[in-house]
Order: sequence, then C-alpha cells, then structure tokens
Amino acid sequence: MSLIRIALAGEGGQGVQSVAEILTEAAYNENQQTIYIPNFGLEQRGGVSIAFIQFSDKRIGAPKFNKADVVIALSGRAVGRTAGYSDENTLFVYDSGFDFDKEDLPQQAKKIIAIPAVDTANQKLHPKVFNIIIMGAVIGLTNVVSFEAAKEALEHKLAYKFEKDPSLRELNFKAMEIGKQMAEKSLQEEVDNND
Amino acid sequence: MEKIIGEPKKAFMTGNETVAWACLAAGADIMFGYPITPQNEVMHYWTRLAPKYNRGFLQTEDELSAGFTTCGAVQAGKKAFTATAGPGNVLMQEPFGMAEAMRLPVLSIIQQRGGPSSGTVVYSQQEVTLTTYGGNGEGHRIVYSTATHQEIYDYVIKGFNIAWKYRFPTFVLGDGYQAKMREPLEMYDPEDKGIEIIKPYPLIGIPGNIGESREPQHLCNIYSLEEELYEVLMKVSAEYEAISPEIVEFEARYCEDADIIIISHGVVSRAADDAVKILRAQGIKAGYFRPITLRPFPQQQLRDVIAQSGAEHLLIAESAYGQLERLTKQEIYGETVKIDNLFMPGVGIIDYDIIKKVKSII
Repeated sequence: MSLIRIALAGEGGQGVQSVAEILTEAAYNENQQTIYIPNFGLEQRGGVSIAFIQFSDKRIGAPKFNKADVVIALSGRAVGRTAGYSDENTLFVYDSGFDFDKEDLPQQAKKIIAIPAVDTANQKLHPKVFNIIIMGAVIGLTNVVSFEAAKEALEHKLAYKFEKDPSLRELNFKAMEIGKQMAEKSLQEEVDNND
Repeated sequence: MEKIIGEPKKAFMTGNETVAWACLAAGADIMFGYPITPQNEVMHYWTRLAPKYNRGFLQTEDELSAGFTTCGAVQAGKKAFTATAGPGNVLMQEPFGMAEAMRLPVLSIIQQRGGPSSGTVVYSQQEVTLTTYGGNGEGHRIVYSTATHQEIYDYVIKGFNIAWKYRFPTFVLGDGYQAKMREPLEMYDPEDKGIEIIKPYPLIGIPGNIGESREPQHLCNIYSLEEELYEVLMKVSAEYEAISPEIVEFEARYCEDADIIIISHGVVSRAADDAVKILRAQGIKAGYFRPITLRPFPQQQLRDVIAQSGAEHLLIAESAYGQLERLTKQEIYGETVKIDNLFMPGVGIIDYDIIKKVKSII
C-alpha cells in the first residue's frame, strides 16, 4: 500500500481523535507504518478538531501534509475548515445530517460525497457511536486497515467499557459495519462534484 | 540497573510518552517541572509511571524553580531532569546558565512551540538559538535535535550519559509535532544493548577531608575578580572544544555528487530526506545533511561534505526565520558555496515545499 493521507475533522467532543487513535493502532498492529498527529490549540473544548493520519508500507516523512487523499468533515464548520486540504485527487466526504453553506465545499476534489452518519447513529443505533460509524466509513472508503484489525483495536481501546456492559461491544461492532457499508454504497453511487 | 522494559518491545505512542519511558529506562530518579504545552504529557506520563518504579516528581511554582531544583538535585547525586517549551524555556535560561557555570549534569527536554512570547502552543523550530546559546554565557551546552520517536528514546538515554560523563548541561530538542504525534518505536533496557549507564554521583557533601583525601569541590557561579572568572571560562571553553569532536553527530546522504545540499534538523529533516529522494528520481542531484548535535555543531563534517561534493548551493530549510542558518553560517565561515534558505517560522515543512524551492534555485 502506498502512502494514504487522511484528514478527519469534527467538533471537539465528537470523538475524531479517538477514531484516529484506534485506526492507527490497528494499522500499527498490522505492521504498517503509520503516523497520527492531532491539531491542538489553546481551547480546552469546542472548535474544530482535526486528526492528520498517514498510512504507508514505507517510512513516513513529515507528520503533517498540505493535501489529503481523503478528507472527512463531520460538522458544518469542519467543512470550511478542511476544504483547503482538498485538491483534484482528494475524496471529500461530509455528513449529510447538518446544514451548511455549500459554497464552503472545496473548489477542487476528485469526488465529493455525503454520508448520513449522524442520522443513522441517532435513528438506528445510538448517538454515542457516531464516531465509530465514521471509523467504519473510513475503512469502507480506503481499506487502510482490515475490518478485523480495527475490531481488535476497538476492543482494546474500549475493553473497560465492554466489561461493564457487554451489549456495547455488539453496538460498536454494528456501528462499524454500518459505517463501512454506508461508505461503500456512497462510493458506488458516484455522487460527484457536478451533481 | 533496574530492568524496566525487559525484552525489546515495539510501541506506538506519542513523543512525550516516549520521553517518560526513556527517562525511566535511563534510571532517572526525579523530574522537576511546570506545565506548559506541548510538553505537558511528559509530566503526565512521568507522574503515572514514577510511583510504580519508586521515582520522584515535584511540580514547582514556575520554570525558574523547576530549573533550579533540577540543578540542586544533580548536586545531591540524583539523576534529575526537566522538560519545558517556549516561554518556559526562556525562564529556564537562568538555571541553565547556572548549570553551565557549575558544570551540572542537567538533562532537559525541550518541545519547541511557536514564538515569540506565547506564540502558539503547536510547533516551531524557533528555540534553536535559545537552547544552544541562551543565557548570559558562552553556550557550553550539548544539544541533540531529534527527528523520530526512536531518536527521542535513544537520545534521552544517551543525553543522561553525556551529561554525567562530561558535565555540561544537555538538551534533547524536540518540537510540538514530535511531542504530540504517535509513531512506532522500539523500547529497550539500555544495558541489554550494551549501553553502559553512567551512575549519578553526588557533587557536594562527598566523604573525605579536603586537602587530605580529596580535592575541594569548587562549584561556583559567582566570582569576586574578573580574572578568576576569565580563567575559569578559558579553561571550560578549551575543555568544551576538546570534547566536541567526540560528541558531534550528523547524517549525510547523497552528498558525494550533489549540486545542492539541503541542510535541515529535527523533524524537518524527515521532509528533506523525502525531498532529496524525489529530486534524485527526477535527475536533480540533491544531497542531505543534518546536524544531530546543534551544539557542538558538526562543523568539520559539513565543510568536508561541501568540499567533496563540490556543491554550488546549500539550501537551509527550517521552521524558523534563520536560526539554523545563523548557526550554520558562523560554523562554516569562509566557505564560498551559495546559501539559499527556506524559512517557514512556526509552521511545518513538507517535501513539496523543499522540492519547489530547490527547483527555483537550480
């Protein structure tokens, strides 16, 4: 696998950094080269939180990048904030569950797609697993890690919660599966820039 | 030495966490610190680990105090360290100066952030001048600039040894990116790798009668006469210069036939390495030179590389406005090679930035 760069952005508290941690942990466990750097600022909470993630089979250079292969924006503000990381090779993904000014979408992108992660989490699963749906979607979009490795890393990260309430395991794995299918479906639908 | 890691172990963690583990493996007794981003997690992880291994921690009232308590602890024979960044690094220059004056084996981890003043909490390479030559002295310090988590681990362990061997204040100079990012490394117990760990020893209160069974310990940071200070400074300067060849470290790649040599340090050298490979693949003869020690600087090594390659250009790339450039220029005074620069103060540099700059030059 050659280098894949992902910028994952959302509101503070949406669990963007946790997703990055789990995905890179999974990649590391699969003996891939991987780097993850959070953006961090002065604010303790609120504001747009971005995770810069890279996967490769070779040693990875600089920890940040200017243009991503995949940008995933999970709030209205995150769309505007991350549009600059998109160029003609970028797959730009946003959540269809919030309103924002469509002019904020990037000028350049290979493809722009919307996924209904927020709605799915709220209606079919639980709002808390929204970020896990997104994690599944990242896998569906990029195959950066195997589904099994992601499950293991998720299990590792949330072991203490699963112990208290085993039903959470099922819920999280289901969220991942739904996210993956959602992404695969969106890719097939070929919703592109011009639609 | 207590075994901490056991069998060499692969790990995936942040740079700050790496620092804490390396200090533990190196046998550090105590950390003194005061919170500042982006080094906070060095303290957080250390305070989690320290009680389990019977090590100490003290959060002081500010950085001046953290620096001075570190100076005190090493005199008592404790392997002590501190970590700071940005304005905290500014405040610590006074205790670092004392460490220079009294030849104290203080190890400090610096995670550079944007400046001046509070700047950003994120990243820069703007603490090069401060860390190498800060304080009201002559910069008798040893400064390692790391580029990977593996190096953070290796050089923290090495840094303690170097500090206690040569008794010059020693620094591991990282940055906010290295502090916060996660990447793989291998952790190990140094002695399993054949690295002999130098045991700390008290500098004061040592047994024996002065003049009979031992020499006086003259740890002094103030003198009555100009001449006294002059004598000490000349002696220390000569010593520093004498040991410098044993300490300097650098990396040079693809320089033999290079037309342009890219000089960078720390995390930027990762981008420089990528850039050189891409440029080479495009037929542009680019070389890579990276000082690992910024103090002492690999002066002769860089001069040799310039001479051997016959390169016409140097390109100095840094996330600061000329701090590495000034350091480099003073060290290679007299060379006629053209020096260009890529200054991006307070922001990251990627291979693309360097490639674009190189192509604008040749």
